[in-house]
Amino acid sequence: MLVTHARQLTFAHLWLAFLAFAVALVLGVWQMWARSPLPAPFVTASTYFSAVTAHGTAMAYVMPVFMIMGFGYYVAETALDRPLPAPRWAWSAFALGLAGALMATVTIFSGRAAVLFTFYPPLTASVFFYLGLVMVVAASWIWCVLMMVAMAQWKRANPGRPVPLAMFATVANAVMWLWTTIGVAAELLFQVIPAALGLKAQLDVGLSRTLFSWTLHAIVYFWLIPSYIAFYTMVPQAAGGRLYSDTMGRLTFILFLIYSLPVGLHHLLMDPQQSNAFKFLQVALTALVSVPTLLTVFTIGASLEIAGRLRGGRGLLGWIGALPWDRPLVLATGLAFLMLGFGGFGGLVNMSYGMNAMVHNTSWVTAHFHLIFGGTVVIMYFAIAYAIWPAVTGRAAPSLAAQRLQLWLWFAGMLVMTLPWHYLGLLGQWRRVATFNYADPIIAGWGPWVVVSLIGGVILLGSGLLFVLNLLQFNVSREPHAAAPGELYASAVHPPARVPAALNGFRLWNALVLVLMILAYGYPIAQFFVGDSPQALVHRVDERR
Amino acid sequence: MPISEEIIVRSELRWAAISVGVVSVIMIALIYAGLVHHINPPSNIERIDPKTLHLGGEFTEANLGTRVSGDGQVTSRIVATQFTFQPRCVVLPANRRVTLRFATPDVIHGILVSGTNVNTMIVPGYVSQVHTVFTRTGDLLMPCHEYCGLGHSEMSATVRVVPPDEFKPDAEGRVACDAR
Amino acid sequence: MNDPDRLEQPWRLWASVAILSVFAFSVLFGFVLMPVMQGRAAGIDAFEAICRALGITPGSPAARQPTTNAKAQPATRVAWSADLLNSLTKATAAGESLAGSCAGCHGRDGRAVEVKLYPDLAGQSAAAIYKQLHDFKTGSRPSALMTPMVQALTEEQMVAVSAHFAAFPVRPIPAAQLPAAGAAIEGLVARGDSGRGMPACNACHGDQSGGPTEAPRLSRQSREYLAAQLRAFKTGERRNDIYSRMRSVAAPLTESEIDGLALFYASTRTY
Repeated sequence: MLVTHARQLTFAHLWLAFLAFAVALVLGVWQMWARSPLPAPFVTASTYFSAVTAHGTAMAYVMPVFMIMGFGYYVAETALDRPLPAPRWAWSAFALGLAGALMATVTIFSGRAAVLFTFYPPLTASVFFYLGLVMVVAASWIWCVLMMVAMAQWKRANPGRPVPLAMFATVANAVMWLWTTIGVAAELLFQVIPAALGLKAQLDVGLSRTLFSWTLHAIVYFWLIPSYIAFYTMVPQAAGGRLYSDTMGRLTFILFLIYSLPVGLHHLLMDPQQSNAFKFLQVALTALVSVPTLLTVFTIGASLEIAGRLRGGRGLLGWIGALPWDRPLVLATGLAFLMLGFGGFGGLVNMSYGMNAMVHNTSWVTAHFHLIFGGTVVIMYFAIAYAIWPAVTGRAAPSLAAQRLQLWLWFAGMLVMTLPWHYLGLLGQWRRVATFNYADPIIAGWGPWVVVSLIGGVILLGSGLLFVLNLLQFNVSREPHAAAPGELYASAVHPPARVPAALNGFRLWNALVLVLMILAYGYPIAQFFVGDSPQALVHRVDERR
Repeated sequence: MPISEEIIVRSELRWAAISVGVVSVIMIALIYAGLVHHINPPSNIERIDPKTLHLGGEFTEANLGTRVSGDGQVTSRIVATQFTFQPRCVVLPANRRVTLRFATPDVIHGILVSGTNVNTMIVPGYVSQVHTVFTRTGDLLMPCHEYCGLGHSEMSATVRVVPPDEFKPDAEGRVACDAR
Repeated sequence: MNDPDRLEQPWRLWASVAILSVFAFSVLFGFVLMPVMQGRAAGIDAFEAICRALGITPGSPAARQPTTNAKAQPATRVAWSADLLNSLTKATAAGESLAGSCAGCHGRDGRAVEVKLYPDLAGQSAAAIYKQLHDFKTGSRPSALMTPMVQALTEEQMVAVSAHFAAFPVRPIPAAQLPAAGAAIEGLVARGDSGRGMPACNACHGDQSGGPTEAPRLSRQSREYLAAQLRAFKTGERRNDIYSRMRSVAAPLTESEIDGLALFYASTRTY
């Protein structure tokens, strides 16, 4: 079932996501050009940092939020085989988010919000920038509620049956996102927006950094989970196999919900205002968040092995060659796993604080999250879009070859861009800089690698534009799409007839998240309310004092 | 499908055990570094009012830079401000334990020293403190690595690491770059 | 997994045990064992080491805290506070009556009578005016002319007179009177020069900078006045800029750049 609501909602949300993505891509390449030894046009301190703000805002907030919302509506109707509850609310959320995104964009390009997407109070932008982002997040909250309502209605109509894995995971993401946004919402509503409105002349920067760290890691898993939904439900089907274990899928999403939240202090390892002891505690929890990813690698690997052997693959590794690599979803998964391997290794370096001191705020970190998010996650966003676009538009893809080329280009561009960044980070090249002094002998040696990474950026831009073109191709395609959309999802080798209540809902896990958050973040936040916590004066970037 | 459920469950459990094992190895490495090499993140919850930083105490302008105290401790005090460091160059001895102390009167900054593991955020309201031993001599870059406003890109300083015998404090225990 | 007995596994118990054991492990190692062992090696007692690890007392559990006996003269005695900045936004009658004695040089409406010598105050940031008044008074910026003038002013009076002049509209400049400063100077204003570690002038003096609180507006001051101040910062004759923010950027400027920048700001409307 895919009634018009989900079809149109998905179409609108994904297009908005990809338009923001395309604009941000152009800005990203220009920023790399500005930082390189090659002379770039339009570079001033103000244009550069406004562009970084726009790039980050579009890539970290607008693009993933709309992508996830659109994909969630699609999953809710196709996996549950029921019409979406309250589509009018979904459209209101879309309008709210669109208005917010436009408001933030206009503010950034008027030069009144050069604070980057991570805000950095006491620097304070125009209030319209923050309000725009709050509207985008509020839109996603409406989506979260709609997802939970959709699952609850289905459970009422199908007592005792396990919620389809795709929907279970989507709701896990919605629940996690509600928890995740508490930190940034508190920072914005109690500190930054009052400062932007002129109601507060000073604020506690230690507290605002801590609140933002609450959001900063879990938001990555919010971006990531759609890719994992594709891994568990769509990829085994596309490869012609079965999901190895449905239970392991459920556990993975539950582990993400639990462990992506109480770990944000690892973004503050180099900060003075948090203690050694709580940093250690959250690093230990961070180590555990690699477990669901390792489980996924195994389960999806095993699922693909089943597919490969069904297709006649023999021997220890022969099944790999037998997989249908000509299908974009399978190809994207292979490439995503490779990038996840590189990126995951980098992440292990980041979380260990001895080594973190070597790479903190260097290009290594930029490389790491571009590889994980821009690589693993976004390449799966492409593949998801390719996979659902026939059902959304009602037309078959005109050319799978163009889709494969686009995915390969993205993979190549990402490696060409981020491998030099990793290396430069180890050499000590630091982040968030508009221009480097290439006359310095140390910095001069970095120049060639910066140019190589710029070439990677150009390849990525080419790939991104080809992606938009490939989606547009559906509109000119004359071939109607035949298959039913529900056939997108794989069933398990042993489809469960029943699952324990703990694996069919989130009540127990929400309670555990609450306990963990109190243990991990209770004292680190409470310390700012004891004694005279130092206040820093607000520095407005939107107007003169 | 020929694979029995029993086999699937057993293989998944085996893999889960391997995953937990990987995680344990990482944690053991961390604990080892902490216990044997005394590696800690630069945590130092020492509050200081950013608004009056320049008025008195150790972060007033004339007191900044490297100083050797009576008990032989080498400490460098540096202020990060929009958009410069004060001082813009500090001298430190090689192969000797030194302490770097940072504070800011305005917004968030951060530093790294190129080619070393000296790295800390500088947050208004707190003194950041790094203990280290420099092993290589020469002029090292110490840029601001956290966005602090439009002048961030040009905010940089130099750490001049000199051989121990060239590190000569004056009568007050101070060592400055231009004094050499 | 479809076996009904195994469905009723005690999920709640096992999940809680797993999480609490991770927590207990972290507390044991991160809160107690590591700080105590590190403290023992550095000669710090166990209780103090744990306090440091928890952030209750400053310092690392693995190293002694440095000592200080600092007693140094600050570059300025002005310290900003939320209340002070708030009071600077309100023009009062007290400010108007005090401003009479300033009018001889700075004009009744804040437009200097001799722009080559005295700065315009009209439309200047109140924080910038206040900072300089305060520094004249305390001697952070010694001036034969201004120091005696402001000696009798109280804190409130300095605030009032600053807010008063800040409220006037800026002097209009006749278009196309001065030559253009040129691309190199405009580059310094908008981009700075990373080779010399010089941030863009706009990073502090721009309309959308988020820079230091006391950064003054520069546009429409006279070329002569602006150049004289830049030279004073360059030579160190003027040193009331907190943490040498201006001295450090003025030092590498060439003489012709100083004149070019002065020309740029004298002939621009927007900064």
